[in-house]
Amino acid sequence: MRYEFNWSVLWSGQSGGWLLQGLLTTLEISTLAWVLAVALGILSGALRTVPWRSLRAAATCYVEFFRNVPLLVWMFFWYFGVPPLLPRAVQDWLFNHGAEFWAGMFALGVYHGARLSEVIRSGIQSIPRTQFEAAMAMGLTVGQAYRLVILPIALRLIVPPATNESLNLLKNSSVALTISVAELTFQTRQIETYTARAIEALSAGTLIYLALCLSIATGMARLERRFAIPGLIVRVGAG
Amino acid sequence: MLDFSVVVGNFRFLIVQGFFGLGSFAGGTLRLAIPAIVLGFFAGIFIGLARLARPAWIRVPATVYVEFFRGVPLVMVIFWMWFIIPQILRLPIPEYGVALTAFVIFEAAYFGEIVRAGVQSVPRGQVEAATAVGLTGAQAMRYVVLPQALRNMVPSLVTQMIVLFKDTSLASIIGYVDLTKAAQIVNNREIRPFELYLFIAVVYWVCTYSMSRMARRLEHRLTAA
Amino acid sequence: MTRVLSILLALVVTVSTAAPALAETTLEKINRTGVLTIGTRTGSPPFAFVNRQNQWVGFSIDLVEQAIVPAIGKKLGKPVRVEKKESTPPTRIPLLSSNAVDLIAGTMTDTRTRRESVDFSLTFFVTGAQFLVKKGSPIKGIESIAGRRIAAQQGSTNARIIRERVPTAQLREFPDQPGAFQALTQGQVDAYTNDGIQLAGLLAKAPSPGDWQIVGDFYSYEPYGMAMRKNESDFRHLVNVGLMEAIESGKYFELYEKWFGPKGEVPYPLTAENKRFLILQVAPK
Repeated sequence: MRYEFNWSVLWSGQSGGWLLQGLLTTLEISTLAWVLAVALGILSGALRTVPWRSLRAAATCYVEFFRNVPLLVWMFFWYFGVPPLLPRAVQDWLFNHGAEFWAGMFALGVYHGARLSEVIRSGIQSIPRTQFEAAMAMGLTVGQAYRLVILPIALRLIVPPATNESLNLLKNSSVALTISVAELTFQTRQIETYTARAIEALSAGTLIYLALCLSIATGMARLERRFAIPGLIVRVGAG
Repeated sequence: MLDFSVVVGNFRFLIVQGFFGLGSFAGGTLRLAIPAIVLGFFAGIFIGLARLARPAWIRVPATVYVEFFRGVPLVMVIFWMWFIIPQILRLPIPEYGVALTAFVIFEAAYFGEIVRAGVQSVPRGQVEAATAVGLTGAQAMRYVVLPQALRNMVPSLVTQMIVLFKDTSLASIIGYVDLTKAAQIVNNREIRPFELYLFIAVVYWVCTYSMSRMARRLEHRLTAA
Repeated sequence: MTRVLSILLALVVTVSTAAPALAETTLEKINRTGVLTIGTRTGSPPFAFVNRQNQWVGFSIDLVEQAIVPAIGKKLGKPVRVEKKESTPPTRIPLLSSNAVDLIAGTMTDTRTRRESVDFSLTFFVTGAQFLVKKGSPIKGIESIAGRRIAAQQGSTNARIIRERVPTAQLREFPDQPGAFQALTQGQVDAYTNDGIQLAGLLAKAPSPGDWQIVGDFYSYEPYGMAMRKNESDFRHLVNVGLMEAIESGKYFELYEKWFGPKGEVPYPLTAENKRFLILQVAPK
């Protein structure tokens, strides 16, 4: 059977609107998940380097458990497995406000939080110990030392691998289509379901992802150059 | 309340069919992961070296290849392969072939970057010494640079292999009956998602954790040498 | 960026030129490989589903294996094997058009719109669309769903009809039946709409069937057919011959009894009208 190309399906009918909606949903879920991941990542990454064993162990458990399981399994777990265990009022609110979006967001955020934690931990560990000792000698508590001295330096050091992880987060948002989040890849399937033009739909989606990733990467590269600390070159492996 | 009997009752199906791939369905996480890792790695060596080649007609396509596949989600690549391959070959292709091709093509870009970084981390002096001793460029690569590069690459390589192992779960999206799909099939019937997905999370965890432990041991042995 | 675009363009051009390369018909392909690949469901009892012993079985699957394949085998003069692939409402036509499967044998409704993209066999089952709701729900049929949250399968006739006829209903589309049913059980939606027989099948297999009920008159006519690619008249003829011979010889009714009889998976008596319709489809020799 010959495949007949028909590129106009991308902008005629509902396809254009679907693509736009998909793009917006992808950006929404990725941004929110990114904020969650950064928060969890900084918290657990820092906790893995503090002097107290129990805190280190707790953070390590979080990281090792969540990053070693595929994201797809987490998606199903958060969407199908968790809501029935929540109180009825929360469930009702969730189901009226897009439960699949929130489940996907949590799955993405918690998973990438664990991965970012490794990046941040490497960053912290590559700072010379003397910095920490000097901070303590000046009378700062451990918490203040981290907040005012260690973390600001670490965060500037890890911009390249963190960019890599952030792009991974954006790309991984596509996995949310399995729990019917209407993000970009889901919409390309939707277009293809209703118009049977698979190649056109997939091309549109692919081009949009490429454009997104390349622009974010370029933006972050520029950011990295501005924030680079001369003299402290770090070889930080990503999770 | 939690009821793990659904896991016990379907344990054979989940593990023997889903994980190992022995059964009436076309599937198996291991059956897909092992060839994908091996083939992806070798393809990655090829791509990585191509990115370092002097002639532009080799280097530029390799760079475009890497930049392209690092800018699209793996799910997209899987869908592309799912629709394109049968069209081109005009033949129904088993999900296994589609998934394997998608994984190898996609991961080759990532393995390629690791190989490239590894080769570039070998000091220039080594190459110069090799040429001084009389080895050609290719021989220098084979006997001097690559072995050292491989040693440097081991941590990143194993990390990427673990990522690939986890990514095989995405093959379930096109109906390949791996561990994740097997859990879905059982869940569709019994509706006990918490127990089932927790169980397969643990199975995946056991595998990837052992892989990273082995990696750490390998790294110790190589750096101690 | 321009480099990437040019690569993409090159890919597209290559694919479009590769398309007319070979022009083998489905029957020639089956003759060559000895395999008929069908796309079928995994969660639509009793048409095609995975049972408690984790075997892939069903009424549609039996029709293919016991009625259609013998007809093809007899014509080609060699045994033909069946290979099953999972297909769902959103993926079945793409799978067919991309040559991933040769025949869709599940729960696909024959419609005029769909006939523009694929060909259908004879009708092998007749049903209509209804709603599955929690017992005691205020929803009684398509008249009472305005503004409610309704689950449907992505790409199904039901989804399209609800969207057209009741635009105020909040339609939530799912890739497959189990996901939609789970949404219903968790209270994410107020009703799940699908063809009556599929709802009956779902109910028969549900953990606590007493909590749910099927409501509403058929709000649409849903004749099931097996779908195949267009312009394959000899393949389509064989599929129809297989079905006709099964109806004529009684094999069809034997299979019907097995899956829909009183002792079957989903008891659903065959009305006299539908039985007559099936028999009248059999063209004389």
